[in-house]
Amino acid sequence: MGNKLSRRRVLVTGAGVAAAAGVGWPWVALAQSGAATRPLLTVRSAADFDLIDPAHRRGPTDGNVMRVVYQRLMQPKPNSADIELDAASEVKQVSPTIIDFKLKPGQMFTDGFGEMTADDVKFSFERIGLPPVAGAKESAYKGDWLYLVGVEVKGKYEGRITLSQPRANIYDVVIADGSGCIVSKKAVEQRGTEFGLKPVGSGQYQVVSLDKQKGAVLRRNPAYKGARRGAFEEINVRVITDAKTTDLALRAGELDFAILSPTGADPLRGTAGLTVSDQPAIFYAWLGMNMEKGPLADLRVRQAIRLGVDVDQMLLAGYNGKVPRLNTALPPQIMGHWKEAPVYKRNVAEARALLAAAGQSNLKLRLTILNQPEFQNMALVAKALLAEIGVTVDVDAQPGGTYWSSGKADVGKNLELYMSRFNAKHDPNFVLQWFTPGQIGEWNWSRWNSAEFDGLFKAAGSETDPAKRRVMVLDMQKAMDKTSAFVWLTNEASALVHKSWLKPASVPGWGDWQYADFSAS
Amino acid sequence: MHPDTARYLASRLVTTALIVFGAMLLLFTLSNIVPGDPAAILLGPQATPEYSKRMISEMGLDQPIYIRLWRFFSNVATGNLGIDIVSGRSVWGMVAAVLPYTIALTFSAILLAVITGIPLGIFAATHRGSVMDNILAFISVAFIAVPGFVIAIFLLLIFAIWLNWLPVLGTSRSGDWLDEFRRMILPTIALSLGWVGFIARLVRTSMLEVMGENYIRTSRAYGLSERLITYKYALKNACIPTITILGLGIGRLLGGAVLIEIVFARPGLGRLIYGAISERNYPVVQGAVLVVVVVFVLVNLIVDLSYSAIDPRIRHGSGAQGAGG
Repeated sequence: MGNKLSRRRVLVTGAGVAAAAGVGWPWVALAQSGAATRPLLTVRSAADFDLIDPAHRRGPTDGNVMRVVYQRLMQPKPNSADIELDAASEVKQVSPTIIDFKLKPGQMFTDGFGEMTADDVKFSFERIGLPPVAGAKESAYKGDWLYLVGVEVKGKYEGRITLSQPRANIYDVVIADGSGCIVSKKAVEQRGTEFGLKPVGSGQYQVVSLDKQKGAVLRRNPAYKGARRGAFEEINVRVITDAKTTDLALRAGELDFAILSPTGADPLRGTAGLTVSDQPAIFYAWLGMNMEKGPLADLRVRQAIRLGVDVDQMLLAGYNGKVPRLNTALPPQIMGHWKEAPVYKRNVAEARALLAAAGQSNLKLRLTILNQPEFQNMALVAKALLAEIGVTVDVDAQPGGTYWSSGKADVGKNLELYMSRFNAKHDPNFVLQWFTPGQIGEWNWSRWNSAEFDGLFKAAGSETDPAKRRVMVLDMQKAMDKTSAFVWLTNEASALVHKSWLKPASVPGWGDWQYADFSAS
Repeated sequence: MHPDTARYLASRLVTTALIVFGAMLLLFTLSNIVPGDPAAILLGPQATPEYSKRMISEMGLDQPIYIRLWRFFSNVATGNLGIDIVSGRSVWGMVAAVLPYTIALTFSAILLAVITGIPLGIFAATHRGSVMDNILAFISVAFIAVPGFVIAIFLLLIFAIWLNWLPVLGTSRSGDWLDEFRRMILPTIALSLGWVGFIARLVRTSMLEVMGENYIRTSRAYGLSERLITYKYALKNACIPTITILGLGIGRLLGGAVLIEIVFARPGLGRLIYGAISERNYPVVQGAVLVVVVVFVLVNLIVDLSYSAIDPRIRHGSGAQGAGG
């Protein structure tokens, strides 16, 4: 699925919902909700919660709760990457760097914190995107609001977002995502560091309890005035880290919904009352090479390694072959995916010839991986395959604590081969941001220093014409391919396991859940 | 209080303080030599160099080691276990939130092990060499040998899935105490079975040793009933090694029930520590482990002091005699 957002679409959507608002949108909202309400939905969260605060959240787990607790100016439609209006009755792109918005009146924050105003929007966006004021803590998500100059309040419900440069992905990954959540200024100021544990929003649900290791209990927000009223009175998000426990809880009927690996979900296929469906994900995994390290600085050596491994065999070992193969950085669901990217086949003779041409014999390399079964299995296959072309691989499986530091700063200079996996969002710049020269010593573990890529990345980030941007994104992937420093493996897959009566909702990619849009079919 | 006992109590308190001090030192040292950049792990890809630097500074990791050491000790001395740099919550608050779950599980498991293991041990000792003794020996060793998390999976399959008597998840959604109790049954059994076997074997061995003592023979010569000799005179002394082991067991279970907590999706100190170690969240690791150490040391202090209450022959200080001596 491509990214279908354009400025025109935003304007059209804005006008449509504005028209609905004109005839009394709260009643439209109730009529749209349709489905009968059920008392309880219980879903699994594989990881623990930290802070349900847009500025200080830590990851997708917090984000999944944030999406039902807070409203945004715009939000993704259920099961779609397309976006529609949420708290705003109108969002208008005045120029490439100016966006005007108008809030729907009467949207109330929970816990008696009053009505949402443009001042709350200004506060919410600026506390993430601008330098912190009055001793506040800087947001780790400052980069989401890159180029933000400020938000001007033009009236009680009206405001203007000003950027210093155009942002192609301002709607998809900022305004309609976590950093676009609107918090109550008064509540943040009053609750301080407690705000993330006692969040105040205006979304479909409010947090009743949030317990570390246990989970979150969310109850329907009676004051919610938006168009997508939830189908459940209460949502119970249970932290269950173990896949086997998840399996048993689903069988026992204690869980309505969970995500498992396709292999982990196998025993549940055919279980009465449960539906299992495999969905391609947008997480991307690859075998990388440090382009500055010894023999790996030679393109021929990198090409030999790329030809020496067999990705399909590795995926068979790592994921029982139940995940799609990836041939470029961007998974197919993301705009600019290089559909015609070369599918490299193993060629032992050519690999050996390349190594010989590079003057390499008895080459020894260390492959650093995360100590997770799929990576360990893939690494063992890669080791055996590379041995056949004369490369001895020493697999160094590290725990998360050590692994995620192994490509950073000066330690990263010693990295040789590595296997990694990143989360993604539906935006090419978000996915490709880790491979720029500025990320060397941070997350660009291949230490690829390409001015061409950097230029394209910056240009694509500001290009608001989707067609032109698509060409730039394709060129970036082609530049990556030329380096031979990245052997793309998979964009993985998720198995959705749920009660057969339940219809889940997510932004495609199956990592960002829309619990409020889950419905009883 | 007997002067010897007072002296013993004082020396045990000093030893306890030294153990806690040593554990803190070890904890601090380990936290500082484990590789891994906490900012990178805690923040993930959001860790820009500036933000990482600030987080390192907030954690105090940019300070000289002696300053960090001093801060750690002085904070602990004032009851401040530090602040979780991720959430801004106090570490003590985080520990306090999960401690009741851990305490409940640990003590219920130990209690179940005691009320099951001791009678089994007595029965085996009083029926030495019988078929039942051999069967109990086999079962006890099996309980000891099979890891708790494997037992947990079997218990879940049998009681939660096949029989549908008990729930899978180890905590309730709200503060329903009856539901909470039902959800604690399987974790308690899973955690205690190994200890049941261990205590049964230990009590059997101790009982057999005690039953051969002169005072037991003398009691029999006086014509006291076998029941009175077994339960009043032999068991009391035979329990002393068991109590020692229970003290160690409680300490071990406080932070070591992590697998059971994971299998039953139950909050606990073990999971808190495990998660914090994985993330190199040093303030949480240090604070939570310190709580485990303190509780462990205190429990063992109580165990030591209980010896003299159980067996009046035990005297502390100069001229001390061992248990039963």
